Amino acid sequence: MKLRIKLNFGIVITFLILALCMSAITLYWSKNVTIKRARERVGRSINSAWLIYNDKLEQIHLLAESQMPTIVKDFESHALNSLVDKLEIFRQKNNLDIVNLLDSQGKVITRSRTPDSKGDSLVDNIIVNNTLATGTAMMGTVLIRPEQLEHEGKDLVERCKKYGGEPTGMFMLATVPVILENKCKGVLMVGVLLNGSTDEVDKIRNLIFEGRRYKGKPVGTATIFMKDLRISTNVVDNKGKRAIGTRVSKEVAEHVLNRGVSWTGRATVLDNWYVSQYDPIRNPNDEIIGMLYIGELEQKYLDVALRELILQLAVILAVMILMFLVIFIIVGNILRPIEKLFRGTQKLTTGDLTSRVEVKTKDEVGRLCESFNHMAGQLEKQHSEIEKRQKALEEINVELKTTNKNYMEMLGFVSHELKNPLASAIMGLFTVKDGYIGDLNSAQKKCLDSVAKSLNYFKDMIGNYLDLSRLEKGEMHVNKTQFRLLEEVVKPVLESLKQELHQKKMAIENHIPAEVEFNADKNLLRIVYDNLLSNAIKYGNENGRIKLNYRQDKEEVVLKVRNEGKGIPKEKMSMLFKKFSRVDTPEYAGKKGTGLGLFICKEIIEKQGGKIWAESEEKWITFTFTLPK
Amino acid sequence: MCQMKKILLVDDDVQLVDMVKTLLESVGYEVYYAYQAEKGIEKAKATTPDLILLDVMFAGPPGPDGFEVSRQLHKDPVLKNIPVIILSGVRKALDLSYVFGPDETWMPVKAFIEKPVKPDTLLAEIEKVLGPRQKAQ
Repeated sequence: MKLRIKLNFGIVITFLILALCMSAITLYWSKNVTIKRARERVGRSINSAWLIYNDKLEQIHLLAESQMPTIVKDFESHALNSLVDKLEIFRQKNNLDIVNLLDSQGKVITRSRTPDSKGDSLVDNIIVNNTLATGTAMMGTVLIRPEQLEHEGKDLVERCKKYGGEPTGMFMLATVPVILENKCKGVLMVGVLLNGSTDEVDKIRNLIFEGRRYKGKPVGTATIFMKDLRISTNVVDNKGKRAIGTRVSKEVAEHVLNRGVSWTGRATVLDNWYVSQYDPIRNPNDEIIGMLYIGELEQKYLDVALRELILQLAVILAVMILMFLVIFIIVGNILRPIEKLFRGTQKLTTGDLTSRVEVKTKDEVGRLCESFNHMAGQLEKQHSEIEKRQKALEEINVELKTTNKNYMEMLGFVSHELKNPLASAIMGLFTVKDGYIGDLNSAQKKCLDSVAKSLNYFKDMIGNYLDLSRLEKGEMHVNKTQFRLLEEVVKPVLESLKQELHQKKMAIENHIPAEVEFNADKNLLRIVYDNLLSNAIKYGNENGRIKLNYRQDKEEVVLKVRNEGKGIPKEKMSMLFKKFSRVDTPEYAGKKGTGLGLFICKEIIEKQGGKIWAESEEKWITFTFTLPK
Repeated sequence: MCQMKKILLVDDDVQLVDMVKTLLESVGYEVYYAYQAEKGIEKAKATTPDLILLDVMFAGPPGPDGFEVSRQLHKDPVLKNIPVIILSGVRKALDLSYVFGPDETWMPVKAFIEKPVKPDTLLAEIEKVLGPRQKAQ
């Protein structure tokens, strides 16, 4: 993987993990905060609800107080009949459910709503009882049992029944003592039935939540319970009607009604979650008789929270993106010179020595690039130096080759030119020496023998130089034909060497079968045999034997020329086939050679894909050469 | 008395011609000679020798070489059966089939002698062609 990708990938992964952690924390925190906030809000709302609730009680109380002068006056004048009418007008005007006038014993003097129902005692009523006992005004929420409610009006019983079954009424009551001459002469009892009423809960809802709706659902709702029974609510049921008459869950009832503790939590109302609080409603004796409920739509908070969350995540994301950008830029800045260096190195390795890296930074990478440039510079310098030298060498080589070729050409020319005078010299010499034109005395003969030896050497030398010249000029072409080895190569060579053989009294042992056929260059092979046999005669023992061997292998033909003679030291063996090399051991002293014969043999044989080598035993010297079939 | 055998010598080397002439005459041959290829053909026509000793390369202005001469001789109805021995310094031409091609070995070229050559060898080759010579007195 590329370094850039690795680095970026690593950093991005790290930051992604970081972002993920941050998001998780934010999510968790946001959720907690949302819930906490919602609960606090509900707590505040229910406090407000209580204020409104208590304000209503106070209002009833004040209403009652407001009637006191009239009542006192009528009490004094005993005009109670007219008072009933006045109280009824007062009740209807102020939307009260009951306005009762009691005597000092708690017996009902009159009920404005049901004037016929009177004479029963309301001492059982806590508030009435308290007022009678203390002579002070009282207010609070109380339950009025069915049999008593009966007295207050049949329509009220019906109202309770309609929503609850058991016709117990839950009333907000206020009692005010009628004080005449510092004595409590009676009690005015004013009350509002909460069962089936909507005034209080709607007022609470409207004041606290301003009746707002969120996505078609009410933002907040309020309910008053009598015990666990919803008697006044603006929570609506499936049909859109107020859910009066339903009961609260057992959990909440247990919590609030039995233990007297507020319950806060989530509650579903019609598939919507509400953050809710239930507070106990107590009568003046501190007995729990009901509950006040406030619920706030959770969705609103969740949506707000979600919006906040989205915003937070968006910020995180934006920061991340910004960070990535910065990282990419930084990584890019760090890596650009490294990549440049990499490309430069690659170019260098593929042979472009002019490759350099442009450096701007002064950091480690920059210094590395400088080092690279320096190195590349050195390399280029050295390379150009080497090239220069190589070129010079090549020039010298070409020059040498030309010189050599010229030399060889000249050598060939000179040798060839020497041939003619040599031919006539030899012809003349031997004509005289062999006595064709008159006999010679022994001194003359001896002298001419010596000349003959020199001329023979001269002749060999010219022959070898001509061959060498042709070899070096590349004129020695291999021209393969099919021929019989013995008849066409070996025999003519032996014929030409007959005299020399005769002189050294050497015997030829031929082991080459007459039928052996060859596909090679006949003329070149003659040169090889001529050289090898001439050597064998020249360096072999007098009266010695020369053996010619032949063997055929799978892939090659092996030919040997062996002669009896003094061994050649091993260290000289490899020298044998070198140009102008001569074996200068004492045994061979005085034997003149051109030092070219074996070199020419080697060249000729290798040119045809064969090999040649020499072996020396105690008595035999063997030259072996191979030719591919 | 047998008539002496006639040998025509065609070579541009004056010294060699002298030497060979001396040798051949000393052993009882009648020797004619020419220094140039064309002259050699003329001489052959004039003398009808029993054997021609022919060089291959001739100095001087470009003209036919020894092989060309032998081909021309072969075309002549009178001269075509006169045997020829090539006597040359050309080593490349060691093998006759190499020079004339494998199909031309029927040519009257009887031998190829590379210069330098010794009298013994030369005389032996000549005797192979002309038969044993009479001993010179």
